[in-house]
Amino acid sequence: MKPEVILHSFSYLTRAAATTVAVSFAGIIFGFAIGALVCAARVSRRPWLRRAGAVYISVFRGVPLLVQLLFIYYFLAEYGLDVPAIVAAVGALALSSAAYQAEILRGALNAVPHGQGEAATALGFSGLDIWRRVLLPQALRISTPPLISEFILLLKASSLVSVVGIAELTRVSMNIASETYRPLEAYLAGGLFYLAINLCLAALGALAERRLGTPSAR
Amino acid sequence: MAAEFAARSPVQTGKTMGARQMKTFDKLAWTRREALERGLAAFAASGAVFGFTRAALADDTLAEVKKRGVLSTATEMQFPPFDISDNGTYKGVDRELIDAVAKEMGVKASYLDLPWTSVLPGLEAKKFDLCIAPVTITKERMKHYAFTVPIADATAALMKRANDKSIMKPEDIAGKAVGGQKGTSQLAQLKAFAAKLPKPVEIKEYVDNNQASADLAAGRIDATVNSLPNLAYAANQRSDTFAVVLPPFGEPTYFSWVGRLEDKSLIDAINAAIVKLDEDGTMASIQKEWFGQAVALPKTVPEPTI
Repeated sequence: MKPEVILHSFSYLTRAAATTVAVSFAGIIFGFAIGALVCAARVSRRPWLRRAGAVYISVFRGVPLLVQLLFIYYFLAEYGLDVPAIVAAVGALALSSAAYQAEILRGALNAVPHGQGEAATALGFSGLDIWRRVLLPQALRISTPPLISEFILLLKASSLVSVVGIAELTRVSMNIASETYRPLEAYLAGGLFYLAINLCLAALGALAERRLGTPSAR
Repeated sequence: MAAEFAARSPVQTGKTMGARQMKTFDKLAWTRREALERGLAAFAASGAVFGFTRAALADDTLAEVKKRGVLSTATEMQFPPFDISDNGTYKGVDRELIDAVAKEMGVKASYLDLPWTSVLPGLEAKKFDLCIAPVTITKERMKHYAFTVPIADATAALMKRANDKSIMKPEDIAGKAVGGQKGTSQLAQLKAFAAKLPKPVEIKEYVDNNQASADLAAGRIDATVNSLPNLAYAANQRSDTFAVVLPPFGEPTYFSWVGRLEDKSLIDAINAAIVKLDEDGTMASIQKEWFGQAVALPKTVPEPTI
């Protein structure tokens, strides 16, 4: 073991970790927005919207993220649509994560007892208020643990964006390994950075659960 | 792309018009329509104009580079001593050479770090102008890419563990396990070489050279294959662990940079700059700095031997 290898490249690793965090968080946020829309389509009363949501989920969950990335970055360029690397990276992460997030949200909505919506209707709540005050708060509470897991998975999957030339954590660890011929030290350092970031994500998740009052968090 | 297409169609129209024009001569009588066609044909036959424009448009990367003032390049920065990312700073033979070439051309170079599998697709998708990853010149690759004049020796050689006395010459790998990077010409040469040995060689293919050298250090394989300059540098960096098996076993081959086939003027300009750097001693000083010795390189793109 030669820890000085890592100390020499520490600022390089920190910058790469910042890139990983930035790309992943952008992917998570856009993914959540798209995922919420897809979920809304999936539980809509209109059959064509339900079908469109299902098709979206099948496609973006069924095609590997790497293929989606290469498609957006290289294939579209062949047809004159030159997507910048960072847009391709965040876009692919968001589009694919949205499919998973939509299903998590749908599962959570289904887990809210049916009687609650009926009771709210009986009490005279309007349709919008039922969603806003009864269904969504509970669904969000139920979906927090699987959503955090999805965020952590996405953060780790973000290592794939190096194929479009973004210097994220895994890529930089590989660069350091090849420069120093010390793969063990380089990958260990990269792994520790991922662990640290994901522990923060998990802590944020635990905080959110307490705020939302998820029963098991008490 | 659209511009190229627009420019191409008049040339093709010119050809068909030319054929029709012949017919009208046969008949020796011009209807109004034929007169119109002939007029159009003459217009297209000023032809050189279109042909010229088309060539200029398809081949305008050099002009575009000069206008931008930036030659955008890409490589995989995991190929010491050619491409190294030292604490985020791009270093190595390619960096020094492309900087000097760009200076000769009166522009600045920009560099993109891409995994090897993305470099050539990125070149074709016009995400950058030139691939400065050292690419071994092979017959197959020459059909798809425009090679510059050689920038380094690429002859395939083997590296073993420093303490391994059982491999003293390349033929000693018979019956042993050897690894190399997938899709490289050095790995292809290893396969051809191994086929001629008395005992079969177990060949393991890796995504990149790091993993091969990591497995060599860990004892999972007995040797790795790569170009001689790469191995010499690696063995020098970790002389306690690795040693080069001499002589190199492969056919003499060279590394070049590659561009798109249609960017002929850009490649010509880069070639002129490389030859000039070779003549004024810049190339030799870069070679001495990174390889420890200067090696003479061909001044034209050599016929590939593999």
